[in-house]
Order: sequence, then structure tokens, then C-alpha cells
Amino acid sequence: MVEAALGSQFDCLVIGAGVVGNAIARELSRFRLRVGVVEKELDVGMGTSARNSGVLHSGIHYTPGTLRAELNVEGNSMMEELCRQLKVKIDYIGKLTVAGHEEEIPTLYRLKEQGEANGVPGLEILKPEGMEKLQPGVNGLMALYSPSTGIICPYTFTIALAENAHQNGVSFFLGQEVTGIQKTESGFLVSTRQEKRFSTKVLINSAGLYSDRIARLAGINDYKIYPCRGEYLVLDKRLGHHLSTLVYPAPHKGKAGLGIHLTKTVDGNILVGPSNEYIDSPENWATTGHIMEKLREEGEGLLPSLTTSDIIRSFAGVRPKQNPPEIGGFKDFVIEAREDVRGFINLVGIESPGLTCSPAIATMVRDMVADLLPMEKREDFQPERSGRAKYFHELPAEERADLIGQDKDWGEVICRCEHITKKELIEAIQNPLGVRSISGLKFRARVMMGRCQGGFCLPRIVEILEKEFGYRPEDFFSYKEGSNFFTGYVRQPG
Amino acid sequence: MRKTLVCVICPNGCHVEAEVQERGGRLEVLEVTGALCKKGERWVRQEVVEPLRTISSSVLVEGGDFPLVSVRTDSPIPLDSIFRVMDEVKRARVRAPVSIGQVIISNPAGTSCNIIATRMVNPA
Amino acid sequence: MKIKKAKRDVVVVGGGPAGLAAAVSAKKEGAPQVLLIERGRVLGGILNQCIHDGFGLHRFKQALSGPEYAQRFIDDLESLSIDVMLNTMVLSLDGERRLLVSSKDGLMEIEAGAVVLAMGCRERTAGALMLPGSRPTGVYTAGVAQTLINLQNIMVGQEAVILGSGDIGLIMARRLTLEGAKVKGVYEILPYASGLPRNIKQCLEDYQIPLHLATTVVELHGSSRLTGVTVSRVDEARRPVPGTEEFIPCDTLLLSVGLIPENELSREAGVQIDPTTGGAVVDDTLMTTVPGIFSCGNVLQVHDVVDDVSEEAESAGAHAARYAMGRMSPADTYVQLRAGKGIRYLLPQKVSGQMDFVLSARVTEPMENKALVLRDQNGKGILRKKKIRLHPAVMVRVKVDRDRLKGANRIEMGVE
Repeated sequence: MVEAALGSQFDCLVIGAGVVGNAIARELSRFRLRVGVVEKELDVGMGTSARNSGVLHSGIHYTPGTLRAELNVEGNSMMEELCRQLKVKIDYIGKLTVAGHEEEIPTLYRLKEQGEANGVPGLEILKPEGMEKLQPGVNGLMALYSPSTGIICPYTFTIALAENAHQNGVSFFLGQEVTGIQKTESGFLVSTRQEKRFSTKVLINSAGLYSDRIARLAGINDYKIYPCRGEYLVLDKRLGHHLSTLVYPAPHKGKAGLGIHLTKTVDGNILVGPSNEYIDSPENWATTGHIMEKLREEGEGLLPSLTTSDIIRSFAGVRPKQNPPEIGGFKDFVIEAREDVRGFINLVGIESPGLTCSPAIATMVRDMVADLLPMEKREDFQPERSGRAKYFHELPAEERADLIGQDKDWGEVICRCEHITKKELIEAIQNPLGVRSISGLKFRARVMMGRCQGGFCLPRIVEILEKEFGYRPEDFFSYKEGSNFFTGYVRQPG
Repeated sequence: MRKTLVCVICPNGCHVEAEVQERGGRLEVLEVTGALCKKGERWVRQEVVEPLRTISSSVLVEGGDFPLVSVRTDSPIPLDSIFRVMDEVKRARVRAPVSIGQVIISNPAGTSCNIIATRMVNPA
Repeated sequence: MKIKKAKRDVVVVGGGPAGLAAAVSAKKEGAPQVLLIERGRVLGGILNQCIHDGFGLHRFKQALSGPEYAQRFIDDLESLSIDVMLNTMVLSLDGERRLLVSSKDGLMEIEAGAVVLAMGCRERTAGALMLPGSRPTGVYTAGVAQTLINLQNIMVGQEAVILGSGDIGLIMARRLTLEGAKVKGVYEILPYASGLPRNIKQCLEDYQIPLHLATTVVELHGSSRLTGVTVSRVDEARRPVPGTEEFIPCDTLLLSVGLIPENELSREAGVQIDPTTGGAVVDDTLMTTVPGIFSCGNVLQVHDVVDDVSEEAESAGAHAARYAMGRMSPADTYVQLRAGKGIRYLLPQKVSGQMDFVLSARVTEPMENKALVLRDQNGKGILRKKKIRLHPAVMVRVKVDRDRLKGANRIEMGVE
């Protein structure tokens, strides 16, 4: 837990350490403000932010003039520089939206026109020869190519934003669930289930799936979030080379998701998904038998060399939808400085393409804060996160040899599937936000994320945490309270 | 009375039949069929009268490069004594270094076996 | 720091039972410089955590535990002064037998006269099974639980269900029981057990642990730690039968649902993989389709008895040494081997006919009172072995004299 250096009094307090909340916090850390982030989970990015395809959308899908369209194109254009600063891998691999039937071809032209109206650069309609060049073996009559579509690791990016914000003085309060918001003369008094209290002049609701509830705590009853789950299968890296660009089917009317498709990740895996299903609970991250079976079938259809042993993991994300199931589809983001509750900035229904929009949302919110508080730029803002974008094994051999010369821990490979070194694990253990969960190590060092799912590295990680960091069996937990890995010693030492 | 057993002597896992009769409160094996080897036949004769097993477990090591040393009984023990033997194994501890074959416990729970170390543990 | 360079006659990748036997054998065959590379901190591989007895019955006529069995080979290794690199990971291998390895001492490029692949296998995980649920903790592969309990003094749970009746799962059912945990049952999707009959007897029956055949886990419950599993009977096509679901409360699920040869390095070197075994396609010298690269042990085919691994690895090690010393003349033609009726796979996949060899095979289903018959391309019988019992869990190993192959260019083994 990172305690507030300046006590519990803030100029701006952000509720929710997802990608949007962290982007806002980092943006605000450029100014002489006391900024805090309150998060109910024990790590940042544990909700929708970490559980998605990791695609940076181009912005062809959104109605011109909407916030989603504007923020998407703006956010996309900010990403390259931001990722360079944050040391996060990014790859503009482009996307083919493919028409499989005659009747889908007009959709491609409509999307192109819409994209161009939104300011999406470089859109091109391609015939099969052109498609084949970008993605060998692709089927379809025609495709819309959007070169600005990219991929990014969503949790790495979310964590990097938080770490850089923290580096610039933002206080993070993890494991603090906001249960009370009281309007005061100078702003707000925010209290948590864990009995912490914060006072702040400006309060920013970036609570994602819980944004409606947080708004209600502030007396705003205008919104309701309908959680909508998307399940994914993660495929072995072995298959990664099959995808050189993203391939999506042309969208069909009335469907809220983008259709099941294959997405490559920056680490070389392929994701199959997401499905699209309204559920009762915002935290129902279960994968289900019938959907996974469907994903597997679709995956085999799109990737004939896929075998069941290539499926290494499943996961699910939940979208914070504003429309109820009977209406479906998308509703534009709500990003508002409330007139009725002065000092309350409200973000509701930030679903896809929230990841792409996040830097643009942050600047938009910054401008809203500027209307409420005096903003003075800090001279010492450090936009560069310390660390490396690449994993050690991605570096040239000579460079790796040099690093091992500097620190022997670089030479010890802990994770055999992803070739993660002990040094990378140690850095993740010593993460600046002080996260102690094992999932925190997964998301930071990529251990346990490969094809053996920790079969080889979990025992080694346990040994290192025990020997070098004093962990006991009961200290190992996955990501939340009660998710303990072990029940004790076999033979009680001492 | 016929008894059907799976021989545990080797991976073959022979399905063996034993013709058994009770005499004076004790079981006696009259005939064994289905065993592929002599060892198996001997095992069946023992198994029917008093099943014996080798057990393996771990003993806590103090000051070693491993926290535990693997151990086993050096001869088979009665099946019904296993949990009593385990109680002693759980209580035992040994100081590194430990060598293979080192006796960790003699005659646990009144059995005639020794609990011996099956791996080397060096001082940490 | 510079990348170091080295040359060795035979490099063995993996210091488990296969790698140990291969290295010893290569040295005994006369290879001057043999190097064994192991990524763990000790030699012995999986044997270290296999503390139960039953190893070495054929080879040493004794029921040793895993560590004891390994130690015999480690002693040989030491007496032959074979070079060992511990805590060292092979990062890459190419078709020219160049390896890049990493350790605390830096990166090293090694040129090998011959390479023996002995990386073993990994366990199939929950991900590959697509088990529905919220991915709670408490779900372990049996081998990981075995490592934690036997080597690291860490208890994984108190109330366990075991999915899959593979040997490691059965062994762990007994181990957990002896440690005071409650094992609720072993569930096997197939209509027969996958583990050895002796393990069913002495790991389950001795402790009254029920084995449920044609039953599988269909859902995991709990979003933080596992709170239970739903099991269901399955039909002949292994599909769950609606209405047969049952909730079993437990905090731990151990998976013993199959092993996957760890051939990522082999693939990188261009070695052809047999989709049925998951291991390399090899000839009677256990050489893969890449000249000078040999394969043995569980990376070649998943074995059930370590004695067989040692035997196979000794053959691979000796042939690798001969190759490295230029004493092996590659065959001009090969006799192709094919799995016939009732046989899931045969190994090697092709033979030169120049030497006697051991044929490994697995049958497709349990059978009784059958004969394994080798026939040539004309249907002429070459070899016939009567078998009282055949079981997919028990690998068949048959010695074949080269004389019997005369005139054959294709051989098929079937169950008759």
C-alpha cells in the first residue's frame, strides 16, 4: 500500500485505478496538485482495463461528432509517444475489416466514409490481392484496411500509467472501496469500507463498472450500468506468426460487440473472442462451457492448425454498458463536470474503445479540472517511466550478455515458456506501488503467463519470495482476499 | 473362498486369484493363479494374510539446502500401521547434512522397519 | 561482458533421468567431451519430487525412490567427470547444433558435435481443459502440487478432488491422505483408469479413495479460492450427461490429465514432430529428422516406467557419441513403421535395418489375451508376441532383431 505523502487531503481524488483513472492521475500529476487514486482492488487495472483484446482502435466504427469518435482518433494519435515515454510495447499492425458476402461490401464503404469523417488516417479499400499481401490466406471479397489500428498490452499500459503517476507524486490507495461521499463546503469527504477517509476539492468518478454506484453516492441518480461479459481463449505463441494484421468480420446490425475474431497480442499470443452476454454481476468473470466451446469452434474455423493443446488459458472481461440488453448496441461515453454537484467529474459507460481513448479522456478531464482549480505546471514532471519496454529475452544477445555482466540475476531464467529472468521477477516483486499479489507479478513480469501456466515457475517464484522476501505459505494470494494459494507448511518449521 | 487381487509388485499389475480358506482364525492360501512371476505369487500369499506396504514421506530438515528430506521405510510394514508410523514421521526432524540411507527413525510405531533418508541434503 | 564460445562433442539438454543416462552412456561410448545442461539447481529432474518407491525394479532389482534412482546415475556421472552446467537454460538450438545458453555466468554459444534432447514433458493445465468458472486458486497440476509438497514443504490444500487417473494424480492422492488431507475422489473421463493398476491398488484402494470412471469435472466454483467442483457422468463420446451433475465441496483440485513432451526447442531446430506422440520422429538410433540431434525420454514419448527411460536414453547417448565421433554412417534407406489395428503409436517411426532395436508401442484401449503382430508390406508375419493383458497405460516394449527385417520396406504392428 502506498500511503499518502501529504496526508489524506487532496486537490483531486480519482475513484478507480483502471486505465482511465490512471491516465487522468498521470495527466494531473503534471501540475502542482495533490492527487490521489482510490481503488477497491489490491492492484490497479483489475477490472475492465486488464480484461480486453488490447486493441488500439482506429475510430472507424463510431458516429461522427460523438465523444467516442473524437476521443478515439485523438487518443490513438497520442499513444505512440505516450508508450515511448511509459516504456510500453506498441505495435500498429493495422486491421482488415473483411466483407465475406456481397451485401457486406456497402458496409465497408460506409465505415470508410465514417472513419474519414472522424479523421482516421490512411483508410483504404482492398481487393483480395491487397488483402493477401497484408494477411496471407485471408478469405473475403473485399476489406477495409485501417493502418492506425494497433495492439498494446492493456494491463502493462495501465500499470505503467499508475507507476509514472506515482513517480510524479500521485498517492495510490489500493484495497480501499469507496462507500460514502459527503459534499462539504470545500469539496468532498470520501470514506471507504476499510475505514479510511479522504477529503478532496475535486472528485473524479472513474469507477468503470461501478461508476453508476459511485455517482449515486454523490447524489446523482441518472445512470445505470449493465454489465456485459466477453469471454476469450488465449492461444499458444506457437500460432502467433499466423497473424500479421488484425482481421475482423464486417459488423452486423444489432450486435453490441464486434463479433468473435482473432487478435494478436504484443507478446505473440492469439486471443479468440470476445463473446457478448449481459450478466447480473459486474464481477462475474467466469468463463462458461458453452461459450468456450463456441470460441474454440470459431477459432478452429479461423485458424485450421489450432489444436486443443494450443489453448493455454481462458478469461473474461466485463463491459460497462449503458444500454439495457433489450436495446443493446452502444451509447456514447458520459464525461461531465456536474453543475449540480460542483467539483464532481463524472465518467460513466467508458467501454470499448476506452483503452484507446484513455489519454484523450485524461486531457479532457484535465481541462474540466482547470475550470475548478488553479493549475500550475510543475517544472519537475517526469514523463518517462523508469524501466524497459522490452522483456529481457527480446533484447539482442550482446546486450543481454552485458546486462548479465552487470547483474547475475539477468542470467537466471525463471520462466521457461516466456524466458523471464530472475531480475525481471525481482523488479516486479519490488514494484513501486507495493502490490504483493501473485497476479501482480504475472501482470508485471509475465511469469506464469506462458503455455505451462506456472507449472515450472510457480515453485521457483515461491522459493524466491520465501527465501529473499520472507513470505510464508499464507502470504501467497492470487489477487484478492481469500484467494490464497496454500494452506500452510507440510512440516511446521521452528 | 476365492479372492481377486491386483499385484502391486511391478507395473504389470497382474490380476491374481487366490483360493483361500480359514483355519483356526487365520487365513491360509491354498492356490494362486494369474501371477506372471514367483515374486507376485509370494506377494499374494502375504497380501491375503497380512498386507504389507512400503511408504514414503518427508521429514523436516534443519539448516539444509532443502526444507525436507524424503524418506521411506526400508522394508514393507503392515498396511494398518501406516498412519501410526506417519505420526512419528511428522514429528521427526533432522539436522543437515543428511545422506542417502541414513536412518532417521528406528522401529517407528513398534514396526520392525527403519525410516531412512532417500536423498542427500547439504547444509544450506 | 562478451558472449562466451565453446565446443563440445555431445551436449545433453536436460538433467532428468533421460539426460543423466544419455550423458553417462555417451561418455562410456568414448565421446571425449560430454556436457550436460540442466535448468534446475540439482540433477535428477522430476525424480527429485517422486519420493515414492517403485523405481529401478527392472534395472536394479530394487524398489527405489526417485531421488535414490537418480543418485545412482549422478554417481556415475561424477565418476566419469562429465561436465555439468546447473541453473542453465538453453535459449535456442538451431539445425546446425548450435546452442545459446544462459546462466548467472553469462551467455554462451556452444557448438555441439551431437545433441541429445532430454527436456522431458510438461503437464496439461486447466487452461487446456477449458474448465468453466472464475479461475479460483486451489487448482494445481498434480506435478506442481508434488513439487510444492515434497520439495518445498508447502501444503496446497486440505480437501481435494483429483481429475484424471494418471499416475502422478494417484500418487498424490495417497500423499495428500498421508499428510492428513481429505481426498474426496478421483474422477476419470475415460471408462478405464489411465494410471498403472498397482497405483490404483496401493494409492486409492488401500485408503478407500473412490475412483469414478466415465466422470469428469464440468465446473469450478469459487472466485477467490476453490469452494467446490461440479462433476458429471459422460457418455461414450465423453460428453457430459445432463442430470448426472453432482457438487463436491473441496478447496483443491489436482489435475492429472496428461503430459505434453516439451518440444519447443526441438521445433526451433527444425525437428519433425509426430502428432501422435507429441515427440520427435526418430529412427532406430533415436536420431531425429535433423542430423546429429537425438531425442529420448519423455520429450520423445511419455513413458510410464523410468527404467525404460534410462534404457532408451542410453541408446540415444551412445548413438550421439558415435555420430559426434564420425563413427555413424547414415542409412541410405529406411524401413517405415506404421501403427496398425489397436495400436495408437509405434516408435521409432523408421528403422535402418542395420541394428537390433527396441520398439515402443501403446495400444488404443484395454484388451486381454491378444497377440502383437509385426507384418511386412506383404502381410508376412515378422514377429508375434502373446499378451495376456494390454492397456493404454502400460507401454509395450519389444526387442526386434535386425535379421527379422530382411526384405521388408514397410512394417505394420497390429493387435490380433
